[in-house]
Parts: sequence; structure tokens; C-alpha cells
Amino acid sequence: MRKLASNLVDWLDSRSGFRGVMREALYEQVPGGARWRYVWGSTLVMAFVTQLITGIFLWMAYSPSTQTAWESVFYIQFDMEGGWLLRGIHHFMAQAMIVLLAIHFVQVVWDGAYRAPRELNFLLGLILMLIVLGLSLTGYLLPWDQKGYWATNVGTELASQTPLAGGAIRKLVVGGNSYGHLTLTRFFALHAGILPGALIAFLAIHLALFRRHGITVKEPKAGPDVTFWPDQVLKDSVAALGVLAAVVGLAVYYHGAELTAPADPANNYAAARPEWYFLFLFQFLKWFPGQMEVWGAFIIPGVVVGVLFLMPWIGRWKVGHVFNVLFLFVLLGGAALLTVQAICDDTMAGTADATFEEYKNKFGKETAEENKQAFAASLDFLKAKRDAQHAAERVIALARSDLGIPPTGALALVYDDPYLQGPLLFKQYCASCHNYVDWKNPDPLLSDLVNPAPTAPNLHGVGSRKWAAALLDPEQVGGPDYLGYPGSPFVGDGDNTEMVEFVQECFGEDLPAAEREKVEAAFQKIAMALSAEAKLPAQAAADADDQRAIAEGRALMEGGLADLVESGSSCTDCHPFGKHPDDGESPVLDGYMSRQWMIDFVRNPEDARFYGDINDRMPAFAPHEDPQLNQLDEKTLGLIVDWLRGDWYRPVRP
Amino acid sequence: MRLDGQRGVELEAGGQPKQWGNYCGRMVHSFNPLVTTMDNSKQPGERPDQIVPAAKEKNRRSFFAILAGAIAMLGPIGAGICTFLSPLFRQTQSPAVRVGLLSQVPDDGEPHFFSVVTDWQDAWNRYPRQKIGAVYLIRQPGANAPIAFTAKCPHAGCSIGYSAAEGVFKCPCHTSVFNIDGTRAQGDEEVAPRDMDLLDVSLEELAVEGGDPVIEIWVNFVDYQTGRSTKMPTT
Repeated sequence: MRKLASNLVDWLDSRSGFRGVMREALYEQVPGGARWRYVWGSTLVMAFVTQLITGIFLWMAYSPSTQTAWESVFYIQFDMEGGWLLRGIHHFMAQAMIVLLAIHFVQVVWDGAYRAPRELNFLLGLILMLIVLGLSLTGYLLPWDQKGYWATNVGTELASQTPLAGGAIRKLVVGGNSYGHLTLTRFFALHAGILPGALIAFLAIHLALFRRHGITVKEPKAGPDVTFWPDQVLKDSVAALGVLAAVVGLAVYYHGAELTAPADPANNYAAARPEWYFLFLFQFLKWFPGQMEVWGAFIIPGVVVGVLFLMPWIGRWKVGHVFNVLFLFVLLGGAALLTVQAICDDTMAGTADATFEEYKNKFGKETAEENKQAFAASLDFLKAKRDAQHAAERVIALARSDLGIPPTGALALVYDDPYLQGPLLFKQYCASCHNYVDWKNPDPLLSDLVNPAPTAPNLHGVGSRKWAAALLDPEQVGGPDYLGYPGSPFVGDGDNTEMVEFVQECFGEDLPAAEREKVEAAFQKIAMALSAEAKLPAQAAADADDQRAIAEGRALMEGGLADLVESGSSCTDCHPFGKHPDDGESPVLDGYMSRQWMIDFVRNPEDARFYGDINDRMPAFAPHEDPQLNQLDEKTLGLIVDWLRGDWYRPVRP
Repeated sequence: MRLDGQRGVELEAGGQPKQWGNYCGRMVHSFNPLVTTMDNSKQPGERPDQIVPAAKEKNRRSFFAILAGAIAMLGPIGAGICTFLSPLFRQTQSPAVRVGLLSQVPDDGEPHFFSVVTDWQDAWNRYPRQKIGAVYLIRQPGANAPIAFTAKCPHAGCSIGYSAAEGVFKCPCHTSVFNIDGTRAQGDEEVAPRDMDLLDVSLEELAVEGGDPVIEIWVNFVDYQTGRSTKMPTT
């Protein structure tokens, strides 16, 4: 058996000469002995091999198209066994590679290892570095999430400013005028084919030349020469293990890599930033006003890269070497400063809920006033980031629920979700008049919807028992959140004050305590009955439990109340409801604040079923049969109404 | 089992092995890639016999070798590059889009945000009614028609927001600020290289049976190149 194995190895060697290759590879001389400082190049190779391995496995599950990219990454991250770890390693090893590249590069320049005869190999190293940066740029877009989409978008817009052929370059990279399927297929081909292929080719030459010229050794040598195997290999392997441990640690800590909401071309992600190692470029651009941008984006970076390429020749003189080292440190120091500045600019407000007053108290009035614009920009950034995280959590929860991802992609989940679309649509169509805020417990995520000068009721919790009770509360009905908003015709000298006056009269000041209690109890039941008309999903259980009280409330509304209150009237004296469908000209109360009632109301509040001639300024959003003539389409209307009613899908984890 | 390097070697009439097609003998490449030598002896390191063609013949063969090889490679590369460049041959038309109704834009001089929704072709997919951008419509007091700004920042294409409290447009990416008339707050000092892009607006009247006509706002939604001081459509 042993003989057979040895024969087989002999045969392989005779046909391939592999023993010679192995000997050459492993028994290279390491002058002065194995050193820890020689490990960086090897760790880079190991990092790249890790990217190849994890990349190929990611490839087996990844599908580049606008309807499947985010979806397949979601599947890798949340469904596939170990998918999060695979993705996490790929994500963090890419970042480790940048750090290792920087170390390797500094070491080479510091040691003057670019000098003859290693100039060519130094240039190859620079090319490899540019390829790695290209890999990380292209990889950032592939998950097709908001973060990668909008950050890359800025990048390709900048590419369009390339002197001479900018427009054509952008078009070729993007695969057309705007982002779409072809952007993904092109970026993927670059990321998984062209760039790694080029990297392998250049790396092979880089290593071959490295072997040809040997390690750059400092004289006098630290010890006797050894061979690469096993001493240096051991050190390299330990270092590689260290890098992997750090990367796996990060991947485990973050449970993979972040996946923000699916890319939405129609909703800009204001907190889009490039990866941290490109932040300095991002920040650098802020220094260049309009016309000068080409300097910040092309000329200066171009000159810097040009100097890097010339380093071996500049470094032929001693002064030149000192220049090279200084240049590199100024470059890295500058990049570090810009990075810190970028992060500080974005986070100076502290939290998304910070106010300028707090900021002023903390840093003094003068400093605060100086930074007012920057503070506002930071606040916007933090808010956008928080909102985006919130949206991402929601989409991921929907995708993981029974709902699942439809064939049209996860963006359909976003567009069909009242919870996500409601606030956006409300802001666009309703918030200029209406408020939407729970004053006792304001939702920081909905701070955009607080209208400081509303001219219509506050719609938070509309149709709920609490809301109905407030509408029937003498203290609140005429208040700013209900019928007493500025300019309201329902209070004071207005033309239609009957409702507010009726409620307030029912609780007249000279009402004996026993009577008052009776009226209060009646109104409580009416509030329950009125609210039950809305059939709010969140209240379904309570409505079912309180059927008796609701029935009593209905009876009171249909006339029973008249016997209890001094005015001798009840709801149906003005409102059509229940047994009195044809009475009164005020809004119909059957199905009050139910989905259909609200949709019909928003369509046309001037309809006879609602306010008719006494409608206040509420526009008719969809009064026409022909949708072409309407402001709001059916779907948008439904989304707004569903959101106001709290009627959205609550995911159940399968 | 005899493992013999000579197995499978075909011998030509003169006893010379065929130059090509023998993978068992050790191939030694000299620096001239056109001359391949064979080592058909078993001892490695021994100088192999060389087959050197006559100079004239060599030149002719070299020429045809390079020509044939180049054509063989250029065919597929050409087809590939042609496909790769295809986006450059396609001109997209900027669509005229109905963004809303005139009744939605009061003449208050304030910007009103409207999504731009139209059919959208993305490579092999046709999407009906997609949001492809956004505009701000502003109607000055007494004005008949609004003006329209695209929300795309002329700097790097981010989506510009409107801050009602400060009465300015702000871009969230590189902090460009624009006045309500679309001009840059700091003029040429601003990061953005030009003012916000105005789009052409037209009004269209639709008759309504038994009622006032409805007036639609149409915008010619041109996509302009970013980062330039002049407006140039991307098409």
C-alpha cells in the first residue's frame, strides 16, 4: 500500500515536476530568520483567498436583478443555515483587507522596498490595491439595499464628471441612464469576474517577482538564514488565524452584515454614506464648491495616485525616500482626519431626538450658533438613519412573516404596507392641515407629522374608543385636536356649532351629581358604540367583549339619550344612524370611521352622506369616477386610511 | 505497472516524434514561443533536439499564426464589447408626465412635493406606473401655472428636501442649500455647481360633465447630468 502511494507520488512528480515546485516554494531562503514583520503580505493573500471562498459560496445563492438581489441576500442572511456567518465573514474580511493593505503599503514604503530592482513589483502592488478598492466599491451595491444603492449612486454620478468621457463612462457602468437590472449584472460581473480575475493574474506576477527578488532585509541581519518552511510559514499562519479570528468575531458580534431596506429609487436615503474607508473622499468633496469639484474628485486624487506610482524613482535619492515616507504619512494622517471629521459632522447632534436648545446648553450659545447649519444637517442624518433602520426592520419582519416576499420583489412589500407608506402619504397629502400626534406619548418616528399650526382635527387614533370619548367630552370636543382647531366653523362664532354646544350642554354646570353620573355613563356607552362602528382591528377583541354595552350605546344614540339630557335630543336628531337612516343632515354614523366610510369621506367630504354644503376646507381627493381626474388613486387612499385606522399586517414569525 | 514517459509517443517516418500533440514527453519552452522543443529522452536536463524552421518559412507561418490567432480572439471579444457598449447606442426620451392637478397647488408661493409616476422600462421588465423621481411645484400668488423644480440635486443626484421652517431646499448628501427660487444659497461657493433645474410645465384642461373643468399639470421630466455648471440632458 505504502509502496503504491510512493509510486503514485513518483509518477505525479515525473509527469508534473511538482516536487521541484514545492521545493522552490517552501524552501526559499529567508535571510536573517523568520520575522513577524514579514507576515503582512501573506495575511493579505489569505484574506483574498477567504474572499474567493466565501464569495463563491455567496454566489451560489445570489441572484443579480432588481427583483432578486435584495431578496436573495435576505435569504442568505436570514434563512440559509450559516448564511449570516458566510456573509459576515465576506463583509468584514473586505474591511480587514483594506487595513492589511495599508499596513503592507506603509511597511514597503518605510523600508524603501520599492527601490531597484523591485520597482515593477511595487507598481504591481499599487495596481492590486486599486483592484481591491474596486472590489469593495462594486460589492457595496450588490445587496441592492437603500444604503448601497444611494451611496453607489453618488459614486456613479461623480464618475459622470470624469473629464471628456464622463457621461459615457457612467452610462457604461450603470448600463443605461438609470439604475436597474443591468447595473446589477454589470457590477456583479466586475465584482465576481473581471476584478478577481485581474487580481489573481496580478497577484501571481506580484508573488513571482517577490520570489525573484526576495525579501528586503535590514542589515545587519537579526539572525541566521532559515527557509520559508516551516518557521516563516508558522508565523504567517498564526497571523492569518489572528486576522480570521478578528473577522469571525466581528461577524458573530454583528450577526452577519447589515441589510437595510430594499433599494427604492423613489425614496432617497438621506443617510447614505460610503464604507468607512471611503469616507475621507466623501468628506474631501465637501471642500470643493461646484466648479472646483473636478479637483476634489479627479485631479487631486489623480495626482496623489500618480505620486504613489512614481515613488520608486523619487526614492532613488535619500531625500526622495524621506519625501515618500512623509508624503505617505501626511496622506494617511489626512485621510484619518477627514474620516474623523466626516463621522463627527454626521453625529454631532448626538441623537435623532436632540434639540438645538439642548445643544446650546451643552456647548454654549456662541459655539452652537456657529454650528447651527451643521447641527441641523447632523440631525437630519441621524433621523434618516433611524428611520431607515426602522423601515429595514419592518420589511425584514414582513419578509420573514407568513406574507413572504412576492415574485415582484420585496419593494412590493414596502409599497403595499400601510405602516410604512401611511406616514409618507399623510405627510404629502394631509399634514398641511391635519395633525397626527399623541401628545402624551409622541412617537419620535412620526415627528415629521406634527403640524404646529393645524387647520383641521388631529387624526391620531381616529375612530378608537379614546378618540370617540374625547369627541363626546365637553372639555375636549371644542379643543384644538377635535372640532376647535383654528378657523373651525364648529366652535365660537362659527356657523355650525351645534355639535360642540350639544355635548357641552349635556354636561351643564348646574347638573346634579347623580344626573351627571348617568349622562357620563351614557356617553361612555355611546363612545363604545360609535367606536364599534369603525371595526378597528386593534379593538376587535374589546368590541366583542363589550357587546352588551355597545348595544345599549346604540340604543342611546338611536333616541334613548333624549330621555337623559336636558336638550331632549340624541344623535339621530342630526345624524342618520341605525333605525333612523334618513334623519338629519350631519355625517352618517353607520360605519363611522370604518374603512369604507373613511375612503368615501376622503373621496368627497361634500357628499350628502357627509358634510354636504357645510364642509369646512377639506378637499375632495377623489370625487370623480374617472381616476384620471382625481388627486388620489384607489390604492393611495386605501393606504392612508388603513394606516390611520392602525390596520396593517402584524407579522407572526413562522 | 510500468510508468513510462514514452508511452503514446507517435513516431514520424524519420524517427522524430511529432511536434504537437504529445503530452507525455516533457515540453520545454524556449524564450521563442514559436519554437517548441521536445525532450524525448528520459533523462531530465539533457539538451533536447530542436526543430528550427527555415527563416522565410518561419516569417510566413508567424504572420499567419498571429493573424489567425488574433481573428480567433477578436471575434468573441468584439461581440462582447458590442453588447457591453449597447447602453451608449440607446437614447432615452424624457417623458412628459402628469404630476397632479392644478387644484393641488395653491398660489401660496410655497413648494409642493409631487412624485413623478410613469411607465418605466428596465432592461427586460416593463413597470407600469413607477415613481421615477419627484418635483417641487411652486405657484406664485396670482400666477396661472406653477413652476417645477426637479428634486434631483445638480451636484451628485441625491434627492433634495424642503425645509419649511427655514424656507430653503437642502440636499442631505453634501449639504448644498438652495433658496426657494432654486438659486444656490451661497452662489458659486455652494457645493452644487448650478442652481436647481427647472422643468417645463404645461397645463391641460379636462372637461368634466356637469362641472368645472379639471386642470392637469404636466411636466417634461428631463433627467439632467449632475456635477456640471450647465444643464445637459443625460439622454
